[in-house]
This record gives sequence, C-alpha cells and structure tokens, in this order.
Amino acid sequence: MSTYWYLPAILLPAAGGTFAGLFFKNEKAVRVFCGTVTCLTSALAFLLILSGTEGLLEVARFSDRLVFCLDLTGPGRVFASVSASLWPLTALYAFEYMDGDPRFRSFYSFFTLSFGVTLGIALAGNLFTLYCFYEMLTLSTVPLVVHTHTKEASRAGRVYLAMSIGGAAFAFISLVYTVVSGPALPPSAVSRVFWLFGFFGFGVKAAVFPLHFWLPKAAAAPTPVTALLHAAAVVNAGVFAILRLTYEVYGADLLAGTPAQAAALSFVLFTVVYGSFMAVREQHLKRRLAYSTVSNLAYMLFGVLLLTPAGLTAGLMHMVFHSVMKITAFFAIGAVNRHAGIEYLQDAEGLGRRMPVTMACFTVSALALIGIPPFAGFVSKWYLLAAAADAGTPLAFLGMGAVLLSALFTAFYTLVIVRKAFFPAPGAVPARREAGVRMLVPLVLLAFASLACGLAGRYFYNVLAETVSGIPSGQWGGL
Amino acid sequence: MKILLLLILLLPIAAAAVVFLVRFPSRKGLLLFTGGALLAETALVTLLACLGNVSMTLFSMTDTLVVALETDAVARVFMLTAVWVFLPAGVFAFRYLEHSAGEGAFPEHRFYGFFLLSLAALMGMDLASNLVTLYFFFEMLTLLSMPLVLHDRTETAVAAALKYLFYSIAGALAGLFAILVLTHAAGTASFAPGGHADAFAASGNRGLLLAAVFVGIVGFGAKAGLYPLHGWLPTAHPAAPAPASAILSGVIAKAGVLAILRMIYFYAGPAFLSGTWVQTVLLILALLTVFMGSMTAWREKILKKRLAYSSVSQISYALFGLFLMNAQGLTGGLLQVVFHAAAKSCLFLAAGSFIFHTGKISVTDVKGLGRKLPVTFGAFTMAALSLIGIPPFAGFVSKWYLALGAMDTGLPVFGWLGPVVLLVSALLTAGYLLPVAVDAFFPGNTDRAADAPGGEGGALMALPLILLAAAVLVFGLFSGLLTPYFLDLASNVLAAG
Repeated sequence: MSTYWYLPAILLPAAGGTFAGLFFKNEKAVRVFCGTVTCLTSALAFLLILSGTEGLLEVARFSDRLVFCLDLTGPGRVFASVSASLWPLTALYAFEYMDGDPRFRSFYSFFTLSFGVTLGIALAGNLFTLYCFYEMLTLSTVPLVVHTHTKEASRAGRVYLAMSIGGAAFAFISLVYTVVSGPALPPSAVSRVFWLFGFFGFGVKAAVFPLHFWLPKAAAAPTPVTALLHAAAVVNAGVFAILRLTYEVYGADLLAGTPAQAAALSFVLFTVVYGSFMAVREQHLKRRLAYSTVSNLAYMLFGVLLLTPAGLTAGLMHMVFHSVMKITAFFAIGAVNRHAGIEYLQDAEGLGRRMPVTMACFTVSALALIGIPPFAGFVSKWYLLAAAADAGTPLAFLGMGAVLLSALFTAFYTLVIVRKAFFPAPGAVPARREAGVRMLVPLVLLAFASLACGLAGRYFYNVLAETVSGIPSGQWGGL
Repeated sequence: MKILLLLILLLPIAAAAVVFLVRFPSRKGLLLFTGGALLAETALVTLLACLGNVSMTLFSMTDTLVVALETDAVARVFMLTAVWVFLPAGVFAFRYLEHSAGEGAFPEHRFYGFFLLSLAALMGMDLASNLVTLYFFFEMLTLLSMPLVLHDRTETAVAAALKYLFYSIAGALAGLFAILVLTHAAGTASFAPGGHADAFAASGNRGLLLAAVFVGIVGFGAKAGLYPLHGWLPTAHPAAPAPASAILSGVIAKAGVLAILRMIYFYAGPAFLSGTWVQTVLLILALLTVFMGSMTAWREKILKKRLAYSSVSQISYALFGLFLMNAQGLTGGLLQVVFHAAAKSCLFLAAGSFIFHTGKISVTDVKGLGRKLPVTFGAFTMAALSLIGIPPFAGFVSKWYLALGAMDTGLPVFGWLGPVVLLVSALLTAGYLLPVAVDAFFPGNTDRAADAPGGEGGALMALPLILLAAAVLVFGLFSGLLTPYFLDLASNVLAAG
C-alpha cells in the first residue's frame, strides 16, 4: 500500500468525529456514524500493518530541520494494533454505558477524534510529529475527562490539562535539543540531562511518580473514557513516547549504565510499589484500578529502561497484555457502576450473584493482572523479570523484588473484590441484574483474550522480539 | 498411557464442573456422584502409579514456559498419598457437612466442587516435571483450596482464608523469584535427579544463586508451615470444616514439601547445596519450627488448633529430613510425609467427629467420651501413638530414619542437635496428644459422658477413621516392605547428583 494511506487513517476519525460533533442531533445516528467510522479506521489501520506498509511520508516541512512526517515502524505497529483492536470494542461498550446521556454528541465526537490523534502518535515519523500529536491528544481527551461536568470531573480535567501541558513543555525542551544537536547526539552529560527532561515530560502521561496523580483523579470520567484512554491509549502513548525517545532518538548506548538511567529507574521502581500500595488502600473501585494502572505502566517503563532488547521486548509485551487485562477490569467495574450503582468496595458484597458474567470476567482479569499462569500477565511478567535477571545489575534485581512485591499487592487489591463478590458475608442475596449484551460481548471477548494471549505467548514474543531487533538506535531525530 | 495423565487432571475438573452447574435432584445424588468421582480418581491414580514412567506436555505458553507432566518415583509417592487421603476425607464430609456447618455456611455442593478442584491442582503439582508447571499448579492449588477454608462463612473463617491466600501467594512469588534467577543460570526449568548442580557451579554468581534457592525454599515452605511463613497455618486449618482441615494438613501442606524436595533434589541439586549456609540455615529453621510447633500445641486448648500447631511441627520433621541431604534423611522425610498424612488426617477427622457429636471444640470437653465414641477415640489414639513415634506404629519408622539421617550428617552440630530436638518434640507430642486419649477413655471422677448423644455418626464417618487408623498400624507393621522402596528412591536421587 502507498504511504499516502497513512493520512486517511488519521483524518477519517478526526474528520468523522468533528463532523459528528457539529451536525448530528440524534443519539442513535451519532452512535451508528461514530461506530462505523471507528470500525473503518481500525480496518484501515490493520490493513496498513498487515500489508507491511512502511516508508516516510513527508506531510509538511516547516524549516530545514522541522518536518511533520508520518511513518509506520515496529513500535508504531504495536501501538497502532493495540489501539485499533480496542477502540471498536470500547465503542460498543460505550453504546450501552452512555445510553441516555444528554451530552452524547460531545462524547462520541471527541472519542472518535481521539482515535485519530492516537493513530497519529503511532504513525509519527519523527519526534517533532510525535510531540505535535501528543499535545493534540491532551486537548482532545480533556473534554472526555470533564464529560459529566461534576465538580470532581472538572477538577480532574484541570489537573490533567495542567500536568499534561506542563509535561509536554519539558518534552518540548528535549525535542528542541535533539533538533538543534542533529541526529547523532553527543554522548555527554548534557544530552543525558535533556533526555531526563524528555523522560519526565512524557512521563506525565506515563504516570511516573510524582507526576502520576492526575490518573486516579481521572477515574471521575465515564468508564469508557477511563478504560480506553486512561488504561490503554493515553497512558500507553506516554510509554510509547518514552520508548521512542530513549531508543531511537537518544539511543541505548548513550544512556546505558549512566546516572541518568539509574535516576529514571529509581523513580520507576518506586512507582511500581507505590501504585500498587495505594491501590490496596483505595476503597473507590475505579480509583483502585487507576492506581493499578500507575503501577503497571511502571512495569513497562522498567522493561524499557533496562536498555536491553530483552527488556524492551518485555516492556512492549506488557504494554499489549496490560491494555487487554486492564480494560477488562475497567469494563467490569464500569458495568457494576452503571447497572448496580456501586462505586465503593464496601458495597460489593454478593456482586457475583447479581452480575455473575461481569464478575467472572473481572476475576479473569484479576488473575491475569496478578500474574497467575497461564494468563497473559504471567507471561509478560515472566519475560520482564527474566530480562531483569539477564541485566544483572543491582537496580535490576531491586526491580525484580519491586515487581514481585507489587504482584502480591495486586493479589490483595483484586482478590478482596473477588472474595466479596463470590463469597459474600451472610445477608440478603441480591437479585440477578446482569449488564446488557453490548457490554457483555466486549467483556467476555477481552477476558478470553487475557487468557488466550497467555496461551499464545510464543506468537507475541516472536513478533515483538523481531520488532525490537528492527529498531534503529539513536538516529531518529528531526530531519 | 499418556491419556491417563490427562484423565487424572480432567476427571476431577469435569466432576467439579458438574457439581457446580448441575442441580442434583437429591442430596443423595450429589453425594453418590462426588463419591464416585473420588473413587474413580483414586483408581486411576493407583493404576498410573503401577505403570512405568509416563510423561506428556500439556501445553506451552512460549518456548521457555512449558507445562508438562511426568510420573517418577517421587510423583508416585505424593500422588498416592494425596488420593488415599482425599477419598476418606471426602466420604467423611458426606456425613459431617450434613449438620455441623452453621446456618450461614455456603451450600454444600460448593465444598465438594472446590474439594475436587483442589485434588486436580494437587495432582498437577505432584506430576509436574519442571519448575514452571510446579509454580502453575502451586498457585492454582492456593486459589482453589481457599474456598474450603472459607466454607463456614464466619468472620474467623473469612479472615483465615484471606490470611492463607496472601501468605501462600507471597510464598509463591518468592518462589517465582527463585525460579527466574535459577532458570536463567541453568538454561532449563526441567527437573532431573540430582539437579543441575554443574550448571550452577559453572555460572559465576554462586552467592546470588544460593540466595535465590534459599528465598525460593522459604517461599514454598509457607505452604508447609516452615518458619517464618507459618503464621497462617494455625489460623486456617482449624477454621476450615474438619474434612478440609484433614486434607489441608494431610496433603495440601505436603505440596509445599514436594516443591522444596524438587527444588533441592531435582533442580538445584544436593551437590550444589550441601555444606553451604543455605543448608545450615534451613536446618535451623526446620528444627526451630519442630520445637516451636510442639511447644505451642502443648499450650493450646482448642483441639483443632492444637492439631494445627502439631502439623506445623510434624511437617518440619519431614523438611528436616530433606535438608539433611543424605539418603537416610531423605528416606525419613518421605516416610514422614506419608505417615503424617495418614495420622494427621485421621486426627482431624476424629476431631471432626468429636465436634459433630458434641458441638464442643476444647480438649477439656473430651472427658469420658471414649465410651460413647469408641471408634473416634480409638482411631485418635492410634494416630496419636504413630505421631509420637511409638512402635509398632508407622511414625516410629519415619522418625527412626530421621534420627539416623541426622547422626549420619557431616555437619557439626546437627548430628546431636537433630535427635535431641526430635526427642524433645516427641515428648511434647505425647504431652499434647496422650492426655486427650487418656481423658476420653479414663475420665476419672468428672464423668461428662452424659452430654454426648449415643452412637457414632454412622459408617460414613467411622469407615474413613478406621481406614486411616489401620493405615498407621499396617504401615508400621509392614514397614520392612515399604522402606526399601524409599531407601532405593533416596539413594538413586542422591547418586545422580
């Protein structure tokens, strides 16, 4: 396929979303339209990926060194496939979840628009383009976060906006340095400092402590938003950006074994434990999962920051698998919110009787997140820890301990929910009121995927290892 | 032949699915089905044990993460022990759960469902041919046996079940750390008699590998009640209904022993671990647990809790034998696994019978009941004598080999410390078990027998008790036939290293 097809992959959902926001009045019409646009975009994205399309497409040239361009390379393919798989399923889930919501136009239009922007990040041909789409993603997702217009949501939106823009500013500084210093960056302390700027700048979306706290607040958003954007798309974009910055712009050789790597790793390892520890303490179910995301993002970054091919493969694998598992968990809790009106852990007694399919899917996602074989989470954790054992540095071993401790915390904060749901204290047995089919179909599919990805681990590992081996190191600056 | 391996896993799983999903028309139907499933499983396992070595790969997640099964001598021992304890405990439950579960308890079929699933997980562990498979079934076993502890649904049961869950998961994760570090050095996760000692010796990082083995053994030791991760056992085993306590103490705890055995003898290798600080510290932990468990049991008044502390102590006898890393120690350890399984499950079932008939839980309430419940307390006495280590009961033989193994060891202190601790513990064991038996049969002035309703609970409770009590006697009397098999096994495993 010609590289010109990159453009419709981004423009179709962007235009579609804008169009829906401006011209549609009827909820059903908006749903059908946005659903169709989403599915078409996903189909196009997969076509691009599977047909092996690659090559740079220059869209606009602002100056000698500043080019806005698109390209489909290894990591971009991974990120695009995850997004393209999950967006249609979330749309289906949203049809039921957002049913009757008065501000449906705003929701569906920004939802679809964000898909386009996310694919833009995946298709970014250089750091500058990535940065542009990154900022756009913040802007297109803020309306989704503040959707319910409650005080909580508005505050969450403001914090998210402020932190994301702030973070992007630091990333911008890093970008400027790379553009100015040319594609081959000098292996000096100065370069490493600018890398750190970029790391923490993009690290806001990747919820690195102490820049993570917008994420639990964003649990105030409607579940389709939290599930897709804040468990899969937005946060993965942060990891993706750091990944490309580290491997392709600065290069593993420039950073391996340096204090910069150690500093970043320290924050990441702390986040691993901190996120899961806060999840144990959190009683609000969605916020609990948000903290869990904070912790799991740090697992991915741990893999990336090992600066070895094995580490990067493991980090990418966890990115893929975690998206599946976490979305399942969010969808389940969202169904509970929507159909049982339950938001807090203490009210969850007997949920297994009331919503058996939903809670069964939650249990699957719980086991997967803890890392119980043969679920997906075990395979990605295994490779992550094996990569750390391979690296053999003290920080790597500390990281192993942190991840395992976090797994134990994960057992705490998820199995307690399962226990309450299926082994409730004696009391009134609630009547069965399961979620509707539009929520259950994505739930069951994703729960099944949480198992299937584990059993098919070999396939994922091979694809990702090959992807990683194809990444050129440290030459990807502005051209 | 391979189909047999698969069947042994699938039969209890399928039976459990039926038990959970099908509404049986009568309670009798449910019991017949469950009983039939247990009986069929027992037959299959016994058949498999009599055949030659069989192996098969179940599935693989990636090239390094392969779930595979194999029967070898160790697998046979553990498999047979497990299934021949599950059967009587299950049959006992048919009568026990009829009345003794409180009003708030979960429906009975849930118990049988998780009972069968735990059996499946346990079989998977016993047959595991590599560390990944072992870990997989270890986690499954924890998750599937937890609901058994939870069954009565009282606050204590729920708290106990969660404690069990989290201690076990913590232990498993420590084990996972060890597995990752060690498989990285050895290049394989498979078990081989004598382990991969040369691969470990060759790799540079001996200190790290030893530390990893230690962490892994302490982690897996959580299931076996080894200090310091033993804290859950005295809470969880008593909180479960008696038949569940019987299998928890009798065989599920032995899964921890098996994991440690595989780690030492089939993965790390006695050649790698003998004489290192790991061995010394583990021996100390084992002896500490033996002593501490018996001391606490002696002071405990609630019968089931006393038996739970006793388990903590007795299982560490087996671990002590394993940690000695010589033929007699390993033999003693394995014999202890089998004999303790029989004796402790018998004791728990007897305690269950006591609770069933009187509604009481404390050892002070057994006075005079020997007259009314002769089978119960007769079995109790026989199992107690075996546990103390009095010939001709089986427990004597296992402790004899443990003492021999201790005296045979090259290590300085343990040659005498081991037998001394074993002896003190035996005295304490007598101190916490014999008074119960004596009080039951020879109540003295205060005759409280009037409280007990007459008669034993029927064949369903009596037969399992008789079977297990007979086992501890028969194993003891015919130990001459049994021990050569174990000695052979032990010397084969150690020679290969």
